Amino acid sequence: MQKHVRRERKIKESRIPNIYVMKNLFAHPFVKFVLRKVVFYLIVASIALTFIFIIPRLMPGSPIDRMIPPGTTDLGRLRLKAELERYFGLDKPLLQQYIDFWANLLRGNLGYAVMHDYNFRPVATVVMQKLPFTLALVIPVLFIGFFVGNWIGAKAAHVKGKLGEAVYFTSVFASQMPFYWFAMILLFFLAVNVKVFPTHGTFSPRFIPGANLESLVDALKHYALPFLTLTIITIGGWATGMRSMTLYELDSGYILYARQLGFRNKKLVSYARRNAILPQFTGLNINLNNLIGMTMIIEVVFAWDGLGFLAYNAVLARDYFMMLGTFLVTMVIVIFGNFLVDIAYAFLDPRIRTSREG
Amino acid sequence: MFELLVRSPKFMIGAAVVLAIILFGAIGSMLTRDPLQYSSHYVEPPSSSFLLGTGNFGEDVLAQLCTGSRNSLMIGAVAGGFATLIAVLVGGIGPYKGGLVDETSNALTNVVMVFPMLPLLILLAAILESRSMFLVAGLIGATSWPWAARSIRSQVLTLKERGYIDIARMSGMKDRKIVVTEIMPNMLAYIIVVFVVSLSIAVLTEAGLSMIGLGPDPSTNVTLGSMLYWVLNGTHVALPWTLWWCFIPPGLILTVFLVAVFVMHSGMDEVFNPRLRRV
Repeated sequence: MQKHVRRERKIKESRIPNIYVMKNLFAHPFVKFVLRKVVFYLIVASIALTFIFIIPRLMPGSPIDRMIPPGTTDLGRLRLKAELERYFGLDKPLLQQYIDFWANLLRGNLGYAVMHDYNFRPVATVVMQKLPFTLALVIPVLFIGFFVGNWIGAKAAHVKGKLGEAVYFTSVFASQMPFYWFAMILLFFLAVNVKVFPTHGTFSPRFIPGANLESLVDALKHYALPFLTLTIITIGGWATGMRSMTLYELDSGYILYARQLGFRNKKLVSYARRNAILPQFTGLNINLNNLIGMTMIIEVVFAWDGLGFLAYNAVLARDYFMMLGTFLVTMVIVIFGNFLVDIAYAFLDPRIRTSREG
Repeated sequence: MFELLVRSPKFMIGAAVVLAIILFGAIGSMLTRDPLQYSSHYVEPPSSSFLLGTGNFGEDVLAQLCTGSRNSLMIGAVAGGFATLIAVLVGGIGPYKGGLVDETSNALTNVVMVFPMLPLLILLAAILESRSMFLVAGLIGATSWPWAARSIRSQVLTLKERGYIDIARMSGMKDRKIVVTEIMPNMLAYIIVVFVVSLSIAVLTEAGLSMIGLGPDPSTNVTLGSMLYWVLNGTHVALPWTLWWCFIPPGLILTVFLVAVFVMHSGMDEVFNPRLRRV
């Protein structure tokens, strides 16, 4: 009898931790934080995508009008318009259009390209082909810019004299310079006067890239200038920010106190640096958003075959589906990137698990 | 506080350079010839008759530079003012009123903060086919306010807790009067800083947008960005990058302006932010 009870208790006890762990998982502040962020970013993404749905419908002049070739007779224009509207589902009620929009989106259907270069290929395929080229610029620049820039900024904060000032002025100059103009200057000096780098493109014209050393060198040569432009500008921004953050921390009470206690200067700087880097992480979101915009424009300057250049060509060719498709993918990428940055921040700063709301 | 500003060398140097560029745009555009007057001197390097050379249609680059700086600064001022206005409305009223208004405005700011604004701006500009300078300024203003709203919000949140606001409220002052007589004078310096930064961001954005042909119509409006646009889209030379006299001056003006605003801004920061005050 007693044995039986004991066994039952044992079973119960062995079950309890299991349930407890499950409950604990959702009660855990970090998991809660992640879930809250997931919900927040899903809302942001749906608002952004709704924007993409609304904008062309609110603007004066329907895109359909622009698809009709000039010189069509009035009657032909009316009939063609009705036909095209029926074809693209624009004659349905707005709510139905909105539902269709989401249904198509979830199926990965972004419409078909009207642009000359991509005649009637699915927009989603073309965009996915160009995406790696943009990410190849954005991701390395984001990380290299962040680490190198903050390292330089932290150094510049406690290096006194001419060198410190020179570093400071260079980074202010680099961060304030218009990035597209800097790209032109680099092109002027390094591609036109000294012909080290090619002026435009992702590969040399009529070059068939393959898995060999020659294509790697060719690709790197084309990659160098856009990468350099974006990295230098980004480094400048981080370095100026980090320098003033470190100076601010070096001025604060705990450092002054530690200095009075006779801590070594190296130790003080390392404390200040550690406290200064945290607020910098919150800037990573904004930096990512800026960087995407910058890359889109830089791609146009260098004719780099990524999303920005595609969007630019789509605007020139007035290809509506391509335009909306590119922006849609860009927005989703940026929002997803922001989500990742937020999660990474939660890993680094235990305080925000409890104190900061989405 | 404004006496302190005058004593800050950073602020004075920055302000002097900014003023010089404003004067260069305002007075220069009256003295030089018509920036859209075309001649048969296509893409000529600087000479005595054309001090900065000529562009793609034989237009005077110096004249374009003056008018362009003036127009770019005007677009920047309108866009910066518009952005500041939205930021004050969204970031200021919310925390002051509290409750649902605060929740809504904060949620709005948070959502818009993670929005990729430059792509959105490019999309909007691309869809609106005929763009005037005002329209572009409006678009830039409408897409560049979130960071300003957030910093104004945090400022209002600290101001709201001060004793004199409580006393004003307890003595039965109307909300509007509290805002006008108690909060605004304390916020003014801060709002000016936000405006200056917004202006410089707007000038930078306008030139970038115009450079890819999505600013005000480049064939009738001269801005610093439209000058870069014609360098990229010129037809007279095989390689546009050889026309250094066409694209170095507008970028240089932009750089000097932005660096000057930055220096001015950090001078203002040192004066208005007591922790940084060393003047």
